[in-house]
This record gives sequence, C-alpha cells and structure tokens, in this order.
Amino acid sequence: MSELRFDDVSVRYGSRRRAMTAVDRVSLTVPDGAVVGLVGESGSGKSTLARAAVGLTPLSGGRILLDGEPIRHGSGPRPVQMVFQDPYSSLDPRMTIGESIAEAVPRGTGSADRRREVARLLELVELDPARAGAHPGQLSGGQRQRVALARALAARPAVVVADEITSALDVSIQGTVLNLVRRLQRELGTSMLFISHNLAVVRYVASEIAVMYLGRIVEHGPAEQVLADPQHPYTRDLLAAVPDSAHARPAATAADPAPTAVAAAEPADPHAPPPGCRYHPRCPVGPLVHPEREVCRTTEPTADHRHATACHFAPARAPLARLTD
Amino acid sequence: MTIAPVPPTDADQPAAPSRRSAAGTRWLAVLRTPVGAGAGLLLTVVLLLAVFGPVFWSDAADTVDTTAAMQGASGEHWVGTDALGRDLFARVLVATRLSIGLALLATLIAVVLGLLLGTAPLLLGRRAGRLVTAAVDIAVAFPGLLLALFFAVVFGVGATGAVLAIGFAGAPSFARLSHTLAAGIADRDFVSAARIAGVGRVRVLVRHVLPNIGEPLVVNATIGAGGALLAFTGLSFLGLGVQAPSYDWGRLLQDGLSGIYIHPEAALAPGVAIVVAGLAFNLFGEAVAKGIGLTAAVNGAYPVRSGPRADTVPAPVTDDGTPATDPGPAAGRPVLDVQDLSVTFPGPGGLVRPVRGVSFRIGRGEAVGVVGESGSGKSLTALAIARLVEQPGEVTADRLEFQGTDLLTGSERSHRRLLGTAFAMVFQDPMTSFNPTRRIGRQLAEVAEEHQGMNRRQAMGRAVDRLRAVRVPAAERRAHQYPHEFSGGMRQRAMIGMGLMGEPTLIVADEPTTALDVTVQRQVLDLLAAVRAADGVALLLISHDVAVVGQVCDRVLVMYAGRVVEDLPAAELGTAARHPYTRALVAAVPDMHVDLDSPLPVIPGRPVDPAHQPPGCAYAPRCPLASARCTVEDPALADDGTGWRVACWHAGEVADLAVPGAAPVAVSLGERA
Ligand SMILES: Nc1ncnc2c1ncn2[C@@H]1O[C@H](COP(=O)(O)OP(=O)(O)OP(=O)(O)O)[C@@H](O)[C@H]1O
Ligand code: SF4
Ligand code: SF4
Ligand SMILES: [Mg+2]
Repeated sequence: MSELRFDDVSVRYGSRRRAMTAVDRVSLTVPDGAVVGLVGESGSGKSTLARAAVGLTPLSGGRILLDGEPIRHGSGPRPVQMVFQDPYSSLDPRMTIGESIAEAVPRGTGSADRRREVARLLELVELDPARAGAHPGQLSGGQRQRVALARALAARPAVVVADEITSALDVSIQGTVLNLVRRLQRELGTSMLFISHNLAVVRYVASEIAVMYLGRIVEHGPAEQVLADPQHPYTRDLLAAVPDSAHARPAATAADPAPTAVAAAEPADPHAPPPGCRYHPRCPVGPLVHPEREVCRTTEPTADHRHATACHFAPARAPLARLTD
Repeated sequence: MTIAPVPPTDADQPAAPSRRSAAGTRWLAVLRTPVGAGAGLLLTVVLLLAVFGPVFWSDAADTVDTTAAMQGASGEHWVGTDALGRDLFARVLVATRLSIGLALLATLIAVVLGLLLGTAPLLLGRRAGRLVTAAVDIAVAFPGLLLALFFAVVFGVGATGAVLAIGFAGAPSFARLSHTLAAGIADRDFVSAARIAGVGRVRVLVRHVLPNIGEPLVVNATIGAGGALLAFTGLSFLGLGVQAPSYDWGRLLQDGLSGIYIHPEAALAPGVAIVVAGLAFNLFGEAVAKGIGLTAAVNGAYPVRSGPRADTVPAPVTDDGTPATDPGPAAGRPVLDVQDLSVTFPGPGGLVRPVRGVSFRIGRGEAVGVVGESGSGKSLTALAIARLVEQPGEVTADRLEFQGTDLLTGSERSHRRLLGTAFAMVFQDPMTSFNPTRRIGRQLAEVAEEHQGMNRRQAMGRAVDRLRAVRVPAAERRAHQYPHEFSGGMRQRAMIGMGLMGEPTLIVADEPTTALDVTVQRQVLDLLAAVRAADGVALLLISHDVAVVGQVCDRVLVMYAGRVVEDLPAAELGTAARHPYTRALVAAVPDMHVDLDSPLPVIPGRPVDPAHQPPGCAYAPRCPLASARCTVEDPALADDGTGWRVACWHAGEVADLAVPGAAPVAVSLGERA
C-alpha cells in the first residue's frame, strides 16, 4: 500500500469567463495505511478532489503523487480506485455483478483464475460467490455497494477513494457497509480517502480528518484531536451542528449568542469566493462579530497553525465547543 | 423528492426478474395494449407479405394479358390491371418486398452511420469529438428530403442510389439521437468506474454504452423505417428510385397516376399500401416507446373512501387507537386525527398495501416525528394526509380529521380550500416544487391570492413579509429572484415561507433537510422550531435520521412495514425504547459517541416487501425477541395508559443471549416462546 499526496492541486471548471475554481491549491497527504476523512459542505469540492485523484477530472494546477511518483494512467486498472456514492448508477444494469468485478481484474489473468478471483472478492465483501451471475437489479443498495467495493479491490489498488459511499443507503444498511469498510481497511491495510458530509460516520472510520471549505482545506489533523479540539471556526460550527439525539438540544431559543447575521448567513457562492478568508462572511469570530478583525477580509490566512488550520485567529482563542466529553 | 408518485415498492427491494427479462416483459406488455396489439398485428402482416408476397403472387403479377389492359376493378382483377393487362392487386402485394426491403436497408444504413457518428465523440476525445458533433448539428438542420434528393443526384438514379441517399439523409438525426443517449450513459458512474478499472474507450462503448442505448435506438429505428418507406416511394415516384422492370409502390403509384381519370384504383391501391405500411411502423414504434418510457404521471386528488374496502387484501389489524381520554400534549381537540389509515396500490400479483392501518393524533403546536427505513410508508402516510396520493393508489381510513373537519366526507373543493390555508407541506428538494420559470415572490403571492382573496399588491407584500419571517436575507430583493438563484437551504426556507402564507396549524415536512449540509440543516430545523414556538403550529417531521427527529420533536412515531410499531416520547428514544425495532434503528445510526473499538450494531435481514407481508409481526424475521406467537399473530398497537404505544408481544424485554446489535443473531423461532 502507498501514500497519496496532493501537491498544490487546483481544478477549474468551465471556460475563461464563467470559470470557477472548485479545488484551490489543495495540499493533502493520505499516509500509507491511513484513512483520511474529508468533510465539508456540499459544493466545497470534495468530489472534485476525489475525481481528480482517479484521473476523471483533469488538473489545472499542481500534481498528484503516489509514493512520490506522478500517477500514470496507462492501460489496465488504475492504482487509485474509487467507490461512488450512488450504488444504483455505479453498476452497469446490463452486466452481471461478476462481469462488473471481472472487468477490473488486471489483464493477463486466465478466465478460470478470473472467476476464482471474483469469487474470492465476493467472499471478501461478505456476499455469496454463487451470486456472481446476478444483475444489480436483483440486489439491495447495501449489496450493490459491496459489489462496488469488490470491484475497486479487484484492481489491487494502492489507494481507495470512497466518495459518500453510505449516504445513498438506508440507515439500517449504512452500518453494515461501514463495518465492512473498517474490516477491509484493517485486514488489507489500504490507504483511503474517505469522503462524507456526516461527521459521525467519518469519526468512526477515519484516523485523520481534513475539513474543506469552498475549495480549500481549512484544517487537517488526527481525528480525535480535530474532533476534541477543533481549531478552525468552521470546524467548530460543523461539530456544533451535528444533530445529537443522546444530548438533545433544547429547541432553538432566542438566547443564541451568535448574532442572527451569522445564523442566517448563506453559504458563499463558489463562483465568486469572498476575498481574504473565505469563511469571513459566516465566521462567528471573524469581522462580522469583531469589526476590528479587518485582516480576515483582506488577507488569506496561511495554514501554519496547529492542525494546519487556516485562520488568523485560531490560536488566539480557547476552543469554543468541546463535544467529546 | 417532489409530489411525484411514490412507488409502493421499496427501492431497496430486490427486483425478482433480472434486467433482461424485465425489458422483454415490457415489450410484451406493450403488445397487450390495444394500440400496441393493432400496430403489432399490422406490422406482422406487412412483414409476412414482404417475405411471402412474391412467392405466391409473382406469376399473377407478371402475366401479360393485352386483351385485358387498363381494366377497372372486377371480380377477376380486384383493383384492375395495368397497361399490359397485369393484375394490379398481385403487383401491389409483390411490390411489398422491394418497398419494405429497400426502406429497411436505408434505415439500417442510417442507423449504423448515425451510431458511428454519434458515438465518435466518445472515442475521439474532446476536440475531434466536438468537430463531429458540430458537423452533425449542421446536417440535422437540413431538411431530410432535400438531403435525400441531393444524395440521389450524387449517387445516380436507381435503387442503389436511392437507398444510399435515404440512408445518408437519415444518418444525421440518428447521429444526434445516439449522441444524446450515449452522452447520458457516459456520464453515469458505472462508465467512470469502468474507465478507472482500465477498460479502454472502445470496450466501454461496446460493453457499457451500446447495450444501454439499444432499446430507445431500436424504437426510433422502427419509427424511422416508416419515414424511410415514405421517402423511398417518393423517390421512386419521381423516377429517381426503382427503375423498370423492377417495381415498388412508388413506381406503381406513378404508373397508376397517368391513368387516374379512367382508372383511379390503379393509383389508390399502392397509395393505400404505403399508408398502411408506414402507419404500421410508426404506430408500433410509438406504442413501444410509450410502453417502455415514462408514462406521464398526472397529479391529482384521490378519492377518499370511508371504511375498509371489501377487497382481497386481508383487513389489517386495527390499531388500538388513542383513547378519548388521551392525556399529554395531544389533549384538547387534535389538529390532526388519523384512524386506521391505509393506502393500497394495484400490484402485479394483486393489491399491495404499503400503509396498513396507521392511527395517530397531533395536538396543537405539537411536534411529532416519523422515523423508519425507506419503504416503511413514512412519505406515503404524509401524502395520504395531504391528499396527494396518485391515481391507482387508494386511501381508506376510519377517520381522517383535520382541525375537526372530516376529510372523508364533504366536497373536494372545500377540503382544498382548508388544506390550502391551514396546511403546509415541505418536501426534500423544493427545487422541483417551485416553478423554475417564475419568480419566488410571485409564487408565494399566488397562494394568498387564491386562498385568501388578496389582491396582487397585498399578496406580494405578504410574500415579502413571509420571506423575512423565514429569515431570507434581503427579502425584498430576493422575492424578485428565480428559484435557481436561491441556494438549497434558502429554497427550503422559501418553501416553508410558502407554507406560512396562510395561517397553517400543521406543517408536514418530509425529509426537509436530507439534501442539506449539517450547518444549513441546523438553520432549517431551528427555523421550523421557531415557527412552531411563535405561532403554535404543529409539525409532522418525517426523517430517516433518528438524531434529527429526536432533537426536534416531542413525540416519535416509529414505522415498520406500513404500520406504527411504537409511539413514544422523543426524549426516551435514545435510551428507553420498548420495541425491538426502535432500539435496533437507534443503535444502527452512528453518533458522535459510538464506541470506536467495536463494530457498529446492525439490523440483520432486510425490510419486508410490501407485496409479501408475513402473517404475524412483520418484524419477526429480523427480531432477536421473536417467539412462536410473533410469527402467527400480529400484535396490536397498545397504549400503556400514558400515551406511549407499542406493538410488540415482548415489548421492553431484553434478548437474553443477544447482545443488542451484535451482528446478525440467528434466532430459531419458537425456541423462546
Ligand atoms: N462538471 C462540472 N462543471 C462545472 N462545475 C462543476 C462540475 N462539477 C462540480 N462543479 C462545481 O464545483 C464545485 C465543487 O463540487 P463538488 O462536487 O466537488 O463538491 P462536493 O464537496 O463533492 O459537494 P457534495 O457534498 O454536494 O457532494 C461546486 O460548486 C459544483 O457546482
Ligand atoms: S481568518 Fe478570520 S474569518 Fe477566517 S476563520 Fe479565522 S477568524 Fe474567521
Ligand atoms: S412482536 Fe415478536 S417479532 Fe414482533 S417485534 Fe415484538 S418480539 Fe419481535
Ligand atoms: Mg460530492
């Protein structure tokens, strides 16, 4: 298994006039054998980063390195494999699941070996090898996602990118897939980039957590530290917003300390990211609340704080919310 | 989600037949419709004639009898004879082969060429692909017949020339079609997955794209064949197609036309043949297209029927509804009172009942959550209350009262009026609930104009006021924007604002935050809570997210297989649930406190297929507490006297050997009765 490194990666969509930068100068390392959880709101560029890693989206800047080498997308399965969000569209409805998996088995394998390999992989993802002849339409969402995992593993990947692989699944099935991901990751030692908007899910599988906002990574560190001691205001807001049945919040009261300006602020438009710190129009410790913090509007913070936090005032404040007790 | 039909079957249910045979079944089903059957029969006759016509009637068609030249219709010659005394009826029949054969050949050329051109962009990469697409777009803009004439001149007069001409002329539109279809497939994740797996472009095309666009392509080719037939007869008629001594319908038509005043049958017969054959192809293609495509769904009210239907479905176990002395927050006259609500759909194997006897009440200002797996009937229950169940679906209930008004009796119009002002519904994705071509403010204002009789100005004023109430920033300006200019969270708030145009006493929100991020989700949930607190509006919040419901609601209804299996205070959800399913559901959702060192608890097995409800408790096959009684007798939803209702024979018990949630626990039924 191997290390995946994004080095100053940018991805731009669209042509000159209507161009938008979905991923902006991102540097991120997925260490050998680690699971890096990538969180962030919709449209922050998580999927774009994932698709760039597997070569589905061309880079407009930077490099992606596998063990220090640029990734070659020659013939044969690619070294970085991906599992998609929607198991209903990621499997060809006209192919049997065995055929889908076999497609990713490296070339030059005899057909008998190929069949044996497919059976082994199905067993690995806890599906009955006898079902290799089934069509995706005959499987449940959770079973399809297992097939998608098996297909990714068939290519003997160096790194697996999992993009929201449980969010299209029912709650009762989500757990089985997460358990499987954890088991496989531990058994095979696969390096993984695990993308999810659900912090509880990321907490369960990831050893490191990276937080993305409007195309930038704003915080990155060991999972338990980022969750227990978030440094960036956005990470803190994310953590505070996680619904928690065990610790029910009283229904929103007017006594909310954050000004309504912050509470009602809209996610910024990715086509026109705000200048300076991108989070400043929503930041509860930024210029909205502390007018003297003008620097947030004008200067983009560097990521040289603890957890590689990109915030001018990160170390200046005690952690706001400690969620894990 | 929108007001679109809610299929009675769960997306997670495995479909029994495989994809291939499913397609076959669909084609067969088309043949069972009257139009499909008629067109199919006609097409079969035409094709049989094409094959066997010359075999049977060649002799009659070629027998020259100068004594009988240019005769009218008679017993011997049904549509008369031509200048050489040959029987015209036989000649029309014999000409079927050439006419149909050449038309099919031309269609084949058009389809093959079109496919090559249409899929070339996938193979060629960006720049060259764009060039091909542009060329096709230009070619499509030319009138087909003009192209055909142009090519006819290029390829020379004669059958071969005409076939090539019509084939080439038809290619651009097939190229456009296959390009559109192929591009749609190429966008799908499974094609991306194949590319990542190292499958080459040509193989992706052959293995993944072509099989998935085959069906619509064949349908369009069938329709195209009808067009090619007409074009071909046209060319032959003009003398550019089939040359004597060969003859097709076009030539016969031309021959007949010269003597049309003496002998109109000679022109009429081939004319009729052309129309019939053309119709056969067109109708058949259209019928299949309609059959396998989307059947247009019509949004309409359903007829509410009182009382259970005398149908083949066994009557559901009636829930022990809330007693009249129901204490708790629902005291007083409830806003909504539902008693034994069922929704039935006709299915392939008889009636399917995805909602089976649901009973509950919502008091003034109360927030009630509904949780359950997908397919458990949550959304359908909400749609039934809002009277939005689609046509073949049928809603029955013992009682369905909103604000004390019986929705089972009385006029449809008065109900609409009542629901229009006092009832609000919020869906998962409001993008589809708003009209994309109209400004948000207008759409809100319309509600007030229609239901409250306000004039335009007043209504607009109220719309802006309501947008402000749901904290849409710069409401005045935003009211003049279109839905796509709103972000997801803001659209959702505008949707809630639309519900607040009247004076709602109940808001039904179906997965209102599923499409949103946690931070935006919190804003929307807070808004709902604020609206509730300010105006005493009751809330029915449907969600698959136990955490969200537990946080926002007072009371939670847990649904399984179309029934309410537990109705408990939200505060008890995490710790004190009594129904095994409720406990399993809560445990299966990871929260920020789950133990990282052990596997997540899972619910073994899978949800019940609404078409195959087991006789006893629907949860029995998955339940760690199931006993023999559970598999034969369905427990009723029983009240413990405090308003907490549970439907379980072993409510509150703890499985002795089963650590709750530890991987699938096999329980042999009957062992622990
Ligand atoms: N093919 C494309 N062309 C143009 N813009 C795109 C394209 N794909 C994505 N975008 C834009 O790029 C930005 C980042 O999108 P991306 O899908 O990477 O976000 P995400 O973090 O994965 O969001 P989600 O949580 O909703 O999956 C968004 O603003 C999106 O609209
Ligand atoms: S730099 Fe300023 S605006 Fe940005 S996150 Fe830090 S405090 Fe907030
Ligand atoms: S009735 Fe029986 S099978 Fe059903 S939930 Fe209760 S214990 Fe389980
Ligand atoms: Mg994404």
